[in-house]
Amino acid sequence: MAEERRFRSASGAPIALRRRQHSACCRELAVRGPRLQLRSLSAATSAVWLAAYGLFALSQNSMVLSAAIFITLIGLIVYLHFVKIDQESLLVIGSLGIQVTSSYASGKESTTFIEMGRVKDVVINEAIHMQKVIYYLCILLQDPEDPQGVSEVVPLFQSSKPRLDCLIEVYKSCQDILEQRKTAPQSS
Amino acid sequence: ENSPAPLPERAIYGFALFLGSWFGFILYLIWAYIPETWLFSLGLTYWPQKYWAVALPVYLLVAVGIGYILLFGINMMSTAPLNSTDTITDNYAKKQQQKKFQEEAIPALRDIPISEVNRMFFLPEK
Repeated sequence: MAEERRFRSASGAPIALRRRQHSACCRELAVRGPRLQLRSLSAATSAVWLAAYGLFALSQNSMVLSAAIFITLIGLIVYLHFVKIDQESLLVIGSLGIQVTSSYASGKESTTFIEMGRVKDVVINEAIHMQKVIYYLCILLQDPEDPQGVSEVVPLFQSSKPRLDCLIEVYKSCQDILEQRKTAPQSS
Repeated sequence: ENSPAPLPERAIYGFALFLGSWFGFILYLIWAYIPETWLFSLGLTYWPQKYWAVALPVYLLVAVGIGYILLFGINMMSTAPLNSTDTITDNYAKKQQQKKFQEEAIPALRDIPISEVNRMFFLPEK
């Protein structure tokens, strides 16, 4: 069963949260950000080309114009492949682990898997980020020596930065699955 | 004892500082404005170059301006990144002692772990 709800990111952009329940102990939560807008693409291209034309008018060197075209093309490809994240998804499988996937606009996907033995908890943390205090969801990793301690913090949904209402939905879904760990019989 | 009350010694320090700063200011104005030839004719020849009469205030003001930006930058650099455990706990919280729970007494002050805080805020108790 899949359901999709609309929310806003920390900066006000519209994002969508899609929840799918694959089985009793397996859930997938995906946050999709807005696609690359035609108007921002045209604005960036026009700005670069106007600046190049201004330089050409000053220096009368036609290489400036071809260089601007190259810069625009290569910059767009680099942006789509390395910077623009379309969808970030979280797959929580009860006894197995948590998988975090980021899909870029060029189709590239980068995945991280954290096994359940290392996961202590999934919490909503508040921290200072660039002159603002934001809520963000993070996975707390267990410290092998100290059962109460946290060895590492893995922040999630870094590029879409959902607001608290969306994070609470994701948090509740994750806690449903994580609670089953405690009630399920321990297998070594 | 350390009290901010006015004392005779403090009055004397203040007056000496007042006279000293006026003397320094008048000396700076003499050095900056009076032509070198007049000063040489008086017999005072060992002055620093007049270039410094303009350069030092400029250096000072630029340093103050950079100080604003530097302080802002130092603040940003010492903010813990989002993936550090400093956003969750610190040495004092890790080493805190757990006091025993007593009936009908106010619970002791302690740092509550973030998992517990989250459950209380975001999971509604039925």
